[in-house]
Parts: sequence; structure tokens; C-alpha cells
Amino acid sequence: MVNLPNECFFKIFNYFRADFKNLYSFLLVNRHWCRIIVPILWNEIANKLNNRKLINTCLLLLNAEEQILLIPFKIVLPNSPKPLFKYSNYVTSVGRLDYLDGSLDYLDDGVMNWLYNEGYKDVYSNEKDDNLAIAVKSSLIAMFLRMSKELKYLGIRGMIYIKAIKNFCKNNIISLNLFNNNFDFEETKVLIESIGQNNTLSSLCISYNNLDSWSGKALSE
Amino acid sequence: MDNGTSNSASENETITLKSCDGIEFHIDARIANRYTLLNNWNGGESACIPNVNGKVLEKVLEWCEHHINDPQLNCGDDDSRRRNTIIEEWDENFLSCDQDMLFEIILAANYLEIKPLLDLGCKTVANMMKSKSPEEIRSAFNIDNDYTPEEEEQFRKENEWAEDY
Repeated sequence: MVNLPNECFFKIFNYFRADFKNLYSFLLVNRHWCRIIVPILWNEIANKLNNRKLINTCLLLLNAEEQILLIPFKIVLPNSPKPLFKYSNYVTSVGRLDYLDGSLDYLDDGVMNWLYNEGYKDVYSNEKDDNLAIAVKSSLIAMFLRMSKELKYLGIRGMIYIKAIKNFCKNNIISLNLFNNNFDFEETKVLIESIGQNNTLSSLCISYNNLDSWSGKALSE
Repeated sequence: MDNGTSNSASENETITLKSCDGIEFHIDARIANRYTLLNNWNGGESACIPNVNGKVLEKVLEWCEHHINDPQLNCGDDDSRRRNTIIEEWDENFLSCDQDMLFEIILAANYLEIKPLLDLGCKTVANMMKSKSPEEIRSAFNIDNDYTPEEEEQFRKENEWAEDY
């Protein structure tokens, strides 16, 4: 094959931007193709996060601090070698705004699917297991906020640990959507501080969060 | 506003281009007017287009001549063209050449900044790759697999989620 410059390969693979199956085939061709395709493949995973296999790979990217969130629940992380790529570096959107309609959240579904598949489903229905899902989701959100420098949109539905968003201020997020997170007063204060330190945020949407009048006023400011 | 169908050069005006292996082509000046880089090599006795040989330049110029009256597209059209993988019959026949020539045309179009031809070439290669397994692609394009078996297996596993779509 004649050696084409990378920009030509990029152009060719771009025809398959939304065609994950083909991209998957192409990245297995050789190392060179893989280096061009991984950023394309991982760019728009927001509405694929309900896939337990994708969650499995994302969990491989947790650092020690993020893994600590899972220790109380005795969650056994996938026993695999260190990932070949820092895949989440290329993610631009998690919990897309369009899908945060209160009934559908891909990350929530993906975490649940992963927990079921890994055999945590027997104990799923009680309160403790909700905490299990919250811990996994929090660790993943913390990981995306740490690694995904291109992350522009973040939507979080339901409860998470407030410490999961501690890297929020270091990110380039332009749109944040918080839905039904039940943050208490102290958590809301941390949230306000993080949002205040972020220089790029241009859209903030908060729904079903029962904020008191002080918190509501502080956030709107 | 220039709608791309009129060029300042008249129909009878010609310019001379020389390939890197010294073959001269006398072409309609309106072609060079459309593609700025071609114009840069106009006429000069010793001015050759580097990196593009006569065989490839002939093909490139044949395409340019056929499309001389096409409207010029704006940058904003790029996204819709990217999604569209339909190729017109004349273009399809034009690019039904051997694979080396196809890639040489892409290289030349990229080098000479003839964007519509570059898009067409890339689209043709994309169509050739569609729905093929990694093994079929390697064999179709004569590509070596430089993964170790362990590495390939790990890649497969880390990205297998994509196979579900």
C-alpha cells in the first residue's frame, strides 16, 4: 500500500465516524491505523455507555484514588493488563444533554449492566446496592473528569459522590447538566466552589435538585 | 460572489505544466485558476511540479478538465460531503484504476490541494474498506500485521464493545 499521509487516512476513516463496527475492524488492521482510529472511535461514546463491555474498559482506566471509592463494596475490578491506550483522553461527551430526560441515562444503565454481568445482581435490589452503583458511577465520572481533557458536555443523573467532581474546575467543560442529584447543603457548597473555579462553563442546567433558596441563588450567580 | 462557474481566464487561454519527470501538459488556464497550487507552476521553463510524475499528473488533469464547470463548494459543505459516500458514474470509472494509481492520485490531490478529487479518492478507498474484516483489509491493501498476538488480543478485548453497533 502506498504510504498516505495521516491526514488522508483521517479523511478516509472519517467516513465511518458513526460506524463503530467498521472502525472496530479497521483498528485491528495494524498499529498505525489503530493510532488514527482510537481517537475517532472514542470521541463520541456518550450514547454507547450503556454497553457493559465499554464500562469494563473504562474501569481499567481508574487510578488508585478512584479505585478507593469501590473498596467498601468489595467490587473486583477487571483483571486485565494496563490498557494499551488512554482511551478516555478522547471522550468529548458523557451523559449527553439530549438524553437526560430523567428516564434514560446511558452511564447509569451501563453501570447496572456491568454489575449484573459481574454477578452483583443477586444483591441488587436493596439500598446497599444502589450505593454500589453510585460508587461505580462516581469513580467513572471522576476518571472522565481527570483524563478527558476534551470533555465538553457532562450530564449527571442521580446521586454521586461530590468528591467525584473535584477535578471539574481543571476541565474545559462548556456544558454541565445536573439532574436529580440530591446534593445536601455541604455538597452544594463544594459544587458551587468547583463551578466558580471553572473558566469555560457557559451552560449550566440543574433540574429536580430541591435546592434551598441560598443554594439556588449562589448557583445562579 | 463567485459561484465557481466563471473563471477570469478565457476558454482559449492555456498554460503549461511540467511533471517531475519532465512531461509537459498544456491545459486550459481556467483549471489552474480553480486550483491555486497548479497556477504556481504555470509556464516557467524549468518549473516542474515536484513529487507528481507525468502518468499521475495526466490523470489528475483529466479529472480537473472533466469537472471544470462544477460549482465550487464552500467549506460548510464539507460535513455533508463527508457523510455521503455516493460516487458519480464517471468518477467511479475514472478511479477504476489499479490500487497504486488510486493512492498516487490521492497523494497528488492532497499535495496540489485539489480538495474535491482528494475527497473522491478517499471516498473510493472508504468504499473499498467497508464491511471487511481486518484480515480482508490487510490482504486487499497488502498491509502487514505488526501487532503481537497478545497485543492484538488485548486491543480486541478493550474495544470489543464497538462490535455491538
